[in-house]
Amino acid sequence: MDLLDSIFSQASVDILMKLGVIIIKIAIVIGITLLHVAYATYWERKVIGHMQVRLGPIEVGWHGFLQPIADGIKLFFKEDIIPANADKPLFYLAPVIFMVSALTSLSVLPFFDGFVIADINIGLLFLFAMSSLGAYGIILSGWASNSKYSFLGGLRSASQVISYEIAMGLSLVGVMMMAGSLNLSDIVRAQQQYPAGMFAVPQFLGFFVFIVAAFAETNRLPFDLPEAESELVAGYFTEYSGFRFALFFLGEYTAMLIMSSIAALCFLGGWTIPKFITDWFPVLLRLPAWSWVVIFLAKVYAFMFFYYWVRATLPRYRYDQLMAIGWKILIPLALFNIALTGLVKIWI
Amino acid sequence: MDLKTEQQSSRATEQQDKKTTVLLFYCATALRTIFFVEILKGLALTLRSMFTPAVTRRYPKVKRPVKPGFRGLHALAKDGNGRMKCVGCGLCGAYCPSKCIYIYTSDGEDHTKVVDRYEIEVLRCIYCGFCVEACPFGAITLSEHYEYSDYSREPFYMTKEKLLSNWDKYFAGEKGRRYFRDFWRPKAEDFTGYEGQAVFRKIKNAE
Repeated sequence: MDLLDSIFSQASVDILMKLGVIIIKIAIVIGITLLHVAYATYWERKVIGHMQVRLGPIEVGWHGFLQPIADGIKLFFKEDIIPANADKPLFYLAPVIFMVSALTSLSVLPFFDGFVIADINIGLLFLFAMSSLGAYGIILSGWASNSKYSFLGGLRSASQVISYEIAMGLSLVGVMMMAGSLNLSDIVRAQQQYPAGMFAVPQFLGFFVFIVAAFAETNRLPFDLPEAESELVAGYFTEYSGFRFALFFLGEYTAMLIMSSIAALCFLGGWTIPKFITDWFPVLLRLPAWSWVVIFLAKVYAFMFFYYWVRATLPRYRYDQLMAIGWKILIPLALFNIALTGLVKIWI
Repeated sequence: MDLKTEQQSSRATEQQDKKTTVLLFYCATALRTIFFVEILKGLALTLRSMFTPAVTRRYPKVKRPVKPGFRGLHALAKDGNGRMKCVGCGLCGAYCPSKCIYIYTSDGEDHTKVVDRYEIEVLRCIYCGFCVEACPFGAITLSEHYEYSDYSREPFYMTKEKLLSNWDKYFAGEKGRRYFRDFWRPKAEDFTGYEGQAVFRKIKNAE
């Protein structure tokens, strides 16, 4: 009886209720994110197609709207090939690490005020940690594939991520100084205190460094050297096929989505509308709470569009140029930005 | 003296001007680099082209109109009575650069030549159209038909019967006549030789 009592005591029921709520939240966030990721690929192909005066996917469904689903089904039923000389345990593990680290980052993102799975105080640090962890997936896949293309891709990715992680971390230090917090919800709320309503204006240097570093961190053009098609076939996932390849693919797009979310939260004001706009249109203040997520998604998608836009425009940088940009321009620029922010904070 | 100093001073100002222009040039280059003027230009270009209509032609649904004179699948022409125009002279096969035309003839009644087999290996054809130009009777032709992909090699080996049925399929009516008038009119029709030249039957002699 004592045991049953202790199980059904008020405290444990409370804990179970909380767990249930968290699990439901996780399911919602992962489900919606994966759907967004699928349609991010569709949107990317559409945008790049039109920028190259093509149509993009158009045959499957209305304007090709079912293309991501068709692609997903195709990938799911593809043969799963594993190279004979691959390091099998690592080969299995690598895409899982990559995908899991990308999905774990979602847990600290506040999609609108109050909706966040884990409202922890070190949200931003957690995101950095997870994005560095994702690099392990890439490096391990390059090692385990036992193929020179994969290995080169993995090595390139390792050095690239290490170089740009610093620049990205430093670029966000300015934001942390202005907000006085590492909690992403607090950072968003802090931005409302400023006249511009977003840190992108006072932290324009940091924002610039962040954009460039985000492109490099997610291995996107013009810094897609780890998967440079013209040199390395497909880079670190050359030997992967079927669903394991899909995991890498999804992880990459999730990472893009997360970088866009960080940009939206830390620099573009998250789910809030800048104050000077609400002063002009007071109607916007009376928007229901659920519409905040729409504002947040609009900002995220604007940043995603920028990703695609740059991909359609710029060619790939050379490897030494990539390193030079990272170490000789971005890091000094970010340090200068920190010094500037600190001085302004002291004097004003 | 005066002239010399004037020259010197003008040279000095010239050099000064040159220095300032060089300096301005470097400043402008630096500004352009700092503000990514060229990258921004590129971004503007891609954004503009995003809103221009796509040039894609959705092929199986929208077919490109075939221009007259297109060189597609082969056909053997028929005359007004529905008989094959080919007399089996073998000129097309002799001209063919890839040697993919095979003609077998035999002696018929009254020693007339009978074309037993006329075969083209379409997979080896390069569609140069030399056979059409070589033919004195406009018997071998290239149609506008180009959608004849298949899963095996056999359908691409054209026999006489297939080539003749191609004529009925792709050159029925006015189209065949127009093609004959504009593109395959045998050289013999317009050829004028000198008096006493050994020629094919239909060739006119020069007056």
